[in-house]
Amino acid sequence: MQLLLDGFTAALTPVNLMYALIGVTLGTLVGVLPGIGPAMTVALLLPITFTVPPASAFIMFAGIYYGGMYGGSTTSILLNTPGESSSMITALEGNKMARRGRAAQALATAAIGSFVAGTIATALLVVAAPAVVSFAISFGPADYFALAILAFTAVSSVLSRSVVRGLASLGLGLVIGLIGIDQQTGQARLTLGIRQLLDGVDVVIVAVGLFALGEALYVASRLRHAAPEVVPVGRAWMGRADWGRSWRPWLRGTALGFPFGALPGGGAEIPTFLSYAAEKRLARGVAREEYGKGAIEGVAGPEAANNASAAGTLVPLLTLGLPTSATAAIMLAAFQQYGLQPGPQLFDHNPALVWGMIASLFIGNAMLLVLNLPLAPVWARLLLIPRPYLYAGIVLFAALGVYALKASVVDLVVLFVLGLLGFAMRRFGLPIAPAVIGMILGPMAEIQLRRALAIGAGDVTVLVESWVSVVLLVLSALALLTPLFRKLVARRG
Amino acid sequence: MSSAESGKRPRLWRPELGLALVVLGLGVFVVVGTLDVSAAASQLGLGPRFFPMLVGGAMVVIGLFYVADVLRGGRGDPEESEDVDPDAPADWRSVGLVSGVFLGFAAVLELLGWIISASLLFFGLSVVLGATHRLRAAGIAVVLGVATYLLFVKGLGVTLPAGVLRGVI
Repeated sequence: MQLLLDGFTAALTPVNLMYALIGVTLGTLVGVLPGIGPAMTVALLLPITFTVPPASAFIMFAGIYYGGMYGGSTTSILLNTPGESSSMITALEGNKMARRGRAAQALATAAIGSFVAGTIATALLVVAAPAVVSFAISFGPADYFALAILAFTAVSSVLSRSVVRGLASLGLGLVIGLIGIDQQTGQARLTLGIRQLLDGVDVVIVAVGLFALGEALYVASRLRHAAPEVVPVGRAWMGRADWGRSWRPWLRGTALGFPFGALPGGGAEIPTFLSYAAEKRLARGVAREEYGKGAIEGVAGPEAANNASAAGTLVPLLTLGLPTSATAAIMLAAFQQYGLQPGPQLFDHNPALVWGMIASLFIGNAMLLVLNLPLAPVWARLLLIPRPYLYAGIVLFAALGVYALKASVVDLVVLFVLGLLGFAMRRFGLPIAPAVIGMILGPMAEIQLRRALAIGAGDVTVLVESWVSVVLLVLSALALLTPLFRKLVARRG
Repeated sequence: MSSAESGKRPRLWRPELGLALVVLGLGVFVVVGTLDVSAAASQLGLGPRFFPMLVGGAMVVIGLFYVADVLRGGRGDPEESEDVDPDAPADWRSVGLVSGVFLGFAAVLELLGWIISASLLFFGLSVVLGATHRLRAAGIAVVLGVATYLLFVKGLGVTLPAGVLRGVI
């Protein structure tokens, strides 16, 4: 608790408050705009933030992270086109509400619900993190390797309807992660003799290529030529009756979102869907009649679940160094670029940084609420930016961010190749997140595996010596088998 | 994704097969491409080849499954996105033009400098993507090129090439 208070004192300095404000504003901006997400934003800011001390940088990233979640809901309520899969559910009831003239209430319940859920879930993070840390402090290399395997399999099988496509994406990321000099022996691997590849492919290039350029090419191939239909909206607000109908769904959504976010492969899709289904089942009276035509419960619950899962994702990221979403993977890379390794040791060695970041999550959350209720009309106007300019601008900033890394044109060519890959992956339904996680977690998995086998002097059973690693590996196998279960259930149902 | 002779019978070649073969080929490439990485440097435990072999081997297996899945008629769901019309036929001309504009930008960047190249990049892309008002697109392009240069080079200390405008700005 004392540590958290120290974190607040660190985060409440004027400079850091400014970084938090920049973070939430940028985050909301890119969350609202189609075509860019929080993962790419953090990636693009990586090279620029090096002049900033790590604590301030992470305070800003925390703001971007929460802001991005927030902005997505505005888009889905006002535009009715599924962008991020996590805010897809919000569009179901949210856009119908907006069309019935209740856009202000839909945005308000999303904003306040996100604040409530974000605050509760961040408090849960404060409670859960030290517990996980004290448990994980005894983890050996074999356990970390098993943890990485679990993250790989879970993210590949859950995020895609087709396991083989999820795994293919993961493999692509792992291969990219292999490029460059082997950290332990100094041997060059898969560099094709290109000198610039010796340092490996920077995570910024991968994220920006797969997300931004890939998206731009994909949009170019199938641009929706009709102008987007945006529901006009004023200041977001809601009345007493809406409050009465919203608070229970908020709490239920939070309860669903946090644990799923903390699980590898849990993500935001499943809890938002579960929350939607739960609210539908629990709906009585007016809500029951309205469900399917724009019920506020169907916005309040999933939005809370979405934000709570975002906080949940930070538990494994900070305590174990385990990213479970693409954005978390980029944040992990950000830690690494500062020479920090998230995990139990980070809480010991760098308490000021960790708790400052957690404290700024609370602050950022409050800022978002203050910012978003009155600014809803401004964000809505952003949706009207003509698409040619929007995507041209995205590519411009992508090129800027990548060139700024090392002032190398070769990087721009690599960026283009990865953009083509991202385009192909979108077109054929390969999820992007496993590739990003594979690329960032792959080298760590390799180090832990080699360390574990070195300890065991080449004996492979060392990998299953502790019960922790056994449990994790069994769970990984189960994750790969889930689609089979799903098929069986579907056949019976 | 409809073809001229599309009936119920699935054709043997589908575009997705290309991606599946890339995955398979990449697996083979990883295995073969790391053959020359000698393990001699490592005394402790495993050398630098072990993990690539593991990844490469896994990629080959995944690639085979993927190819088989595509051949049996499986298909991934194209990603949904705000500005994408899932039913529209692929517009290869736009994709080619976007690629051309981007690669052209990479080619002239260090010669012409950031401001001119970035303005050309923005203008080219917005026209390819369907901007109707060309004069306005050009105006925005120049403003963005100059503004980003001033903000990032003068403000944030990022290195961007000045090119032919060296000394002017």
